[in-house]
Amino acid sequence: MLKIKHFIQESWLLIVASFAFGLLIAVASASLDARIKQNEKDKLDNLMKSLISDANDFQIAIEQAEIPGDRGRVETTDVYKALGEDGGVIGFAFVAVGAGFADKIKLVIAVDGKCEKFFGFKVLSSNETPGFGSKIKDDDPESDVDFADQFKGAPAQEFELIKTGKLEVIKKIDSQIVAISGATVSSDAVVKIFNMYTDKIREQLRQKGLIGDGK
Amino acid sequence: MANESQPTTGLYKETLLAGLWRENPVFRLLLGMCPTLAVTAAVKPALTMGLCVIFVLVCSNIIVSLMRNLLKPHLRILMFTLTIATFVTIADLFLKAFALTMSETLGPYVPLIIVNCIIICRAEACASKNGLIVSVIDALGMGVGFTLTLCVLAAIREVLATGMIFEVQVMPDAFVPWAAMGMPVGAFITLGLMLGLVNLTNKKKAKSSCHEV
Amino acid sequence: MLKDIRVSCSPHISERLSTRSVMIDVIIGLAPAMAAAGYYFRIHALILICTCVISSVAAEWLCNAIRKKPNSLDDFSAVVTGIILALSLPPNLPVWVAVIGSVFSIAIGKMVFGGLGANIFNPAMVGRTFLTASFGVLMTSWMVPVTIDSEIAKIDPDNKIKAVAEEGLVHARTRATPLAWSKQAIKSELGADLYSEEQFKATLTGEVGGSLGETSAIALLLGGLYLLIRRTINFHIPLAILVSAFIFGAIAYLIDSYSYVQPLYHLSSGGLLLCAFFIATDPVTAPLTRRGMWIFGIGVGMLTMLIRIVGEYPEGVMFSILLMNAVTPLIDRLCKRIPAGGKPSA
Repeated sequence: MLKIKHFIQESWLLIVASFAFGLLIAVASASLDARIKQNEKDKLDNLMKSLISDANDFQIAIEQAEIPGDRGRVETTDVYKALGEDGGVIGFAFVAVGAGFADKIKLVIAVDGKCEKFFGFKVLSSNETPGFGSKIKDDDPESDVDFADQFKGAPAQEFELIKTGKLEVIKKIDSQIVAISGATVSSDAVVKIFNMYTDKIREQLRQKGLIGDGK
Repeated sequence: MANESQPTTGLYKETLLAGLWRENPVFRLLLGMCPTLAVTAAVKPALTMGLCVIFVLVCSNIIVSLMRNLLKPHLRILMFTLTIATFVTIADLFLKAFALTMSETLGPYVPLIIVNCIIICRAEACASKNGLIVSVIDALGMGVGFTLTLCVLAAIREVLATGMIFEVQVMPDAFVPWAAMGMPVGAFITLGLMLGLVNLTNKKKAKSSCHEV
Repeated sequence: MLKDIRVSCSPHISERLSTRSVMIDVIIGLAPAMAAAGYYFRIHALILICTCVISSVAAEWLCNAIRKKPNSLDDFSAVVTGIILALSLPPNLPVWVAVIGSVFSIAIGKMVFGGLGANIFNPAMVGRTFLTASFGVLMTSWMVPVTIDSEIAKIDPDNKIKAVAEEGLVHARTRATPLAWSKQAIKSELGADLYSEEQFKATLTGEVGGSLGETSAIALLLGGLYLLIRRTINFHIPLAILVSAFIFGAIAYLIDSYSYVQPLYHLSSGGLLLCAFFIATDPVTAPLTRRGMWIFGIGVGMLTMLIRIVGEYPEGVMFSILLMNAVTPLIDRLCKRIPAGGKPSA
């Protein structure tokens, strides 16, 4: 009994303050949450829009699609469908997550309406080494040898990471991806994310009848 | 030490100016080196960081000053950290809501304000011993001093590394940017040279004041 | 009679060895390389060397003035730093870049540490690193020696590959430095066998693209030999660097002779000789003991070859020198001389 009294005596301020501060954060979070969510959604919309430039609108096609990852973990992601001028589905986009060199890499990946070709990817968030791994973000419209450019129009199948300096291999659009020199881990992470999601997303789209079964 | 019952304007002024120069957190106390080196590649993130620190510093100094008589000595650091963490979280949420790109540029350095030594130093050295007004003035002085220093450092680096200030071109077109100044090495070199300069001027001042006396 | 005999404790130095005399020796040692640079790059060499020397000296004078320290210009160390920096820069570098490099070398590389003798890193290499980090493009645009026919000089790497395919022969002396060539070979854009005998000869005489003072192997060897004969430098560091670089180059060559050029080519091209004789032997930033010098030299040679063979950059001399400079205090601690009478018992 004495112990408890002593404990309370010493730490009442801490306990009270913890509750008060917790409440403060809860209030702040509640009032700002809508805006933060909206910001994130706007950003996602912008990225999807930049990937599928013909799209007029994006709507959720599959809510919380479950993607089994490695070691039994399950990632969930919303798959969006991109609607064209005439209201037809011209593509799908989703957020894909995977382990990068330093931190998680979040990508926005877009495929065409038949799930056959990629429109490419954009980095939603990453924390790769500046100057090396951060080059996965490079997307200069002038240059055609950016890492990201290799995915634009590439067939939606397993990608293979290779290492070479040959320009024609980088420029060729196929399922061979040339790693960024000095950033093999980051390049590999992007390729792995693609490989992890592509088939499973296609599977789920088929189940929902959103794309043909490929026969 | 401040005498609470008879605070004078002279004391307030003194406290405010201490943070700006005599006890400038970066140049004189060498506190908060992590953000100083990390976010000063350009003026905009430096200014944002500075404003965040001012906000957190003022809030935490107010709270700590108010509860200074209730603090148990062995639990005080815990209380300081709790207070600081609360306001940093709020600042972080605020940035995410209203300045998403800036929040992404600053990345982990906003949550890292929690362990910024300036704030815990001011809580310990000033707010836990002084009244509300003195604590607030001290927080403002220190915060503004920190922000100004960061901005000066960032301005030098941004001009040399990109030829721009606030993303506005200030150098002639012929200027070739010094890429190294935008990298961490630029931060260390600029900070080192500025510290040297400050020490040099202070030495001179000390000497001349010696002569006067 | 006895009053002429002076009693003093060791060391008993019979020769008057001053910083000034050492530095003058180094300048004489660098003379052949400067002459070769002047021959191949003409006015560019003159402008670059003069700019670097003048701005180094000016920076040293200014730093001393600010710090209110006695003038240290008369030991010629700033002149040597300026010359070495100039020789390690691309010939057609704009003057203002050279000025920034020199000022950085002296002010940040040397004076902030407290002047000559207190600097941790070789000042010239500090300056060059800063320039490389800041002005990457300017620091890798090479010019061809003026003695080369301008028609041949127009062959650039792209159409050279074509020329190779068509004629089965490549002309040695073009825009890319020999090391940039061997780097391309490693990236398997072209075979290392294109690095011909002729190209090797060109690196000996210096009629090849590259930094101002590192193109001519013969001139550098001549200068190095002079320093060795004058005993201004010990043979340990240069030998260790060259031998270890040769061995590591040979290992790579033996593993894959298609991708990697012969080890001898590695020795004769790039800044390795300049580094081995003039930069690594800087008494301030190299270890003091003989064992330490061996470790230092092997480290420099190994790191250089690692960067050249595995790394991104075609040339690694600059980085390896700085890295080994950084561990020099550790090497010195490791290789303490045991005083006569063995280790003192604890």
